[in-house]
Amino acid sequence: MGGSLQIQPAHLGKASIQVKADSNRDVLKLLFETDKSAGIVALTGLDMGEKIGLMYHIRTNGAIVTIRTEVPKENPKIPTITDLIPGAQFHEREAADLFGVIFEGHPNPARLLLPDDWPENLYPLRKDAKIDDAIVKTENSKNQAETVQPQSDGTLVNIIIGPQHPALLEPEKFSLKVNGEIVKQVEPRIGYVHRGVEKAAEQRTYLQDVYLVERICGICNACHAACFVETVEKILGTTVPLRGQYLRTIILELNRLHSHLLLLGHAGFEIGYETLFQYMWRDREPVLDLTELLTGNRIIASVMTVGGVRRDLKETYIPKIKTALANLKKKMGFYKQLFENELTLKMRTQNVGTLAKEDALKLCVVGPVARGSDIAMDVRKDEPYEAYGEIPFKLITYNTGDSWARLMVRLDEIVESINIINYAIDHLPQGPYRVKVPRVVPAGEAVNRVEAPRGELFYYVKSNGTAYPERVKVRTPTFANIPAFIKIAEGGNIADVPASFVSLDPCFSCTDR
Amino acid sequence: MILGLDLVFRVLIFPGFTFILFLTMFCDWVERKIEARMQNRVGPSFTGPSGILQPLADFIKLLTKEDIVPRDAKKTVFRFAPILAFSVVVFAICFLPFDGAAIIPNSAFAGDLIFIMALITVANFLLFLSGWASSSPYGAIGAARVLTQFLGYDIPLFLLALAPAFLAQSLSITSIAANQYLPFILLAPWAFVLFVIALQAELEKDPFDIPLAESELVGGLETEYCGGKLAFLHLTRDVQIVFGAALVVELFLGGPYGPVFFGLPAFWYSLWFVLKLLAVIVISEYLTCLFARLRIDQVLTANWKILLPLSLLSLILTVALATWVYPLMV
Repeated sequence: MGGSLQIQPAHLGKASIQVKADSNRDVLKLLFETDKSAGIVALTGLDMGEKIGLMYHIRTNGAIVTIRTEVPKENPKIPTITDLIPGAQFHEREAADLFGVIFEGHPNPARLLLPDDWPENLYPLRKDAKIDDAIVKTENSKNQAETVQPQSDGTLVNIIIGPQHPALLEPEKFSLKVNGEIVKQVEPRIGYVHRGVEKAAEQRTYLQDVYLVERICGICNACHAACFVETVEKILGTTVPLRGQYLRTIILELNRLHSHLLLLGHAGFEIGYETLFQYMWRDREPVLDLTELLTGNRIIASVMTVGGVRRDLKETYIPKIKTALANLKKKMGFYKQLFENELTLKMRTQNVGTLAKEDALKLCVVGPVARGSDIAMDVRKDEPYEAYGEIPFKLITYNTGDSWARLMVRLDEIVESINIINYAIDHLPQGPYRVKVPRVVPAGEAVNRVEAPRGELFYYVKSNGTAYPERVKVRTPTFANIPAFIKIAEGGNIADVPASFVSLDPCFSCTDR
Repeated sequence: MILGLDLVFRVLIFPGFTFILFLTMFCDWVERKIEARMQNRVGPSFTGPSGILQPLADFIKLLTKEDIVPRDAKKTVFRFAPILAFSVVVFAICFLPFDGAAIIPNSAFAGDLIFIMALITVANFLLFLSGWASSSPYGAIGAARVLTQFLGYDIPLFLLALAPAFLAQSLSITSIAANQYLPFILLAPWAFVLFVIALQAELEKDPFDIPLAESELVGGLETEYCGGKLAFLHLTRDVQIVFGAALVVELFLGGPYGPVFFGLPAFWYSLWFVLKLLAVIVISEYLTCLFARLRIDQVLTANWKILLPLSLLSLILTVALATWVYPLMV
């Protein structure tokens, strides 16, 4: 099959290729050999009755190609592709947890999302899974306390960060094997607050799902809602009025401002720079005020709806928005100077947690993490959605790949976001801001991506012609970035773990959907 | 009998234990208020006027909390190390002349500068023990970092403390303070700057607050402490800050001496002393707000490669100054 596959650049559609299970690996191998910069976006499982469908969503030349295959439900075995693309490791473990697919040859087929005492042979996203089977017997629970103590393993000491730890605001566990002050091995364990949003979405209507997916993540809530409604609009074939698209863009960028400012402040806290933390969070407040002005809510915007947005922007708001953004922009100049010149800040972030470009490509990282490693990847540029195609803005990349670069990407993006909002307000078209759509969505499926503050957010929605979706798949940016954390922590200093970890902007609320 | 009452008053009330306790809490409030204002916050503001009673309220609150000793802890050390550390620092403060004489009358002797530096070493070691005895990994790492950091700054701190001693031709704190016709900060500003930096490490403040790095070590050596013992650990830290600032005042800012306008000299001396003390605390707090926390290896490298040679150089300069220049000026 060598050379028989050619990938055409510069097309923005979605391609879908159906392959047999036994040749699946060959096709993917060919794809990854043809395009060295290709990466896996997500691996969607699908209960098709007798069979389990597997969809490998591959990012190549900025577009998404879906390789579909099927495995029988009684014997759901398929060869792993982890050796072809290491970034697939967590996607395969997730599919193994939720659909019971066995990936032959996977280096670490342990549970990722489900608890250790979850019953065997109960796969939650299969349609025949019963909630009663999931009642966990407490006597099966392993004694967690014994793993919390540090264990000496030859010369390596086991230090556990999490599930409760001040460096982590959310409950996740990272076991670090440490030799002296040097980290040798990292084993993440996520899923402590997994809420089964994908399953819950199947039991609600599309309109209810907008508010459900918004609650996947408090910080990038508008991105989740926007990505979901765009996916549904693709199935419906609805076009959102231009004013609605511009308003969505403004709200998405406010979301990005608030998320980036929060992260930069949090980074200050992690490196013991409390003044920076307090300043950044102070300057984040006006952004929340603007969100409140536009949507009525400070955090969870609840303003996206299928067919447009729920609230219009009044003329009287415009001067307030402009003043607040001008002030913020002025302050960002000060912060940029600070990040470039402050000695202790640079000592803690430069040459710390370096992620080389090749590793970043192999591990399929997304968002500011990829852009900090000199990968020009941004869904807003690759596949413009909403009004991004019409708004000029710069794609920020840094080439050092360290924590500092990742923070600088966000710092510069804040300025770009302010410019985008200003441009969108100046060029705001007149007209309606939403259209009415039917409650029942015709049968069909669609994939969609938006650039959330943390990186590429991916949704897959399959409709079966009713008011309830058949399947909703969410791949959040942090889920794609966790392999990068393992990579940058290993071989580093233990004191650098929080500093390099925070530069990835991890959000476990997203990861544990 | 009257002499005995005087002794009791001096040791227990003023300028002894009670005064030090309230001064410590006042300094804690000043620190928190300054830090808050620098970070564009309000700081403590509800307990008492402008929140001045907040440190006292915090202390009393901690004393009323349940006191738990972990099952695996070395119980005796765990219980007594915080209190001992506190006592040792307060004992060291007793040698500093707050109002012109040491707190315990006639206790000052020819080498008390060396003695109180040694006491501070003991206090740090007791703090290390308190973390080590808690047998928690965070406590143990925090405790180990106290010692590791101590290795870095102790020698420079000591060498820099010798500069005023050379200038005053004495190793006694009282006579160093009394012999500053011109405050030594003006004579040897380099030694003052370096001393404040080394002190920042001794007091575990930014950029050297590594043993307390909450994002890495939870609470460091305090992790397993609660209730009254935690109150004493916090108090030890605050008293250490007062001690450090007081040491700077004695060595570089002319001690308690200043103009006496009317009435008792002791009153004016105490006033000048507290004002100078607050000035040092403002400087220290300003540095804290200015920097991010360094890594332990960066601190050790900086201390051994930069601070130690600089303090040796400062010592040579000061000796030259004390031998050839200073006698001409006096």
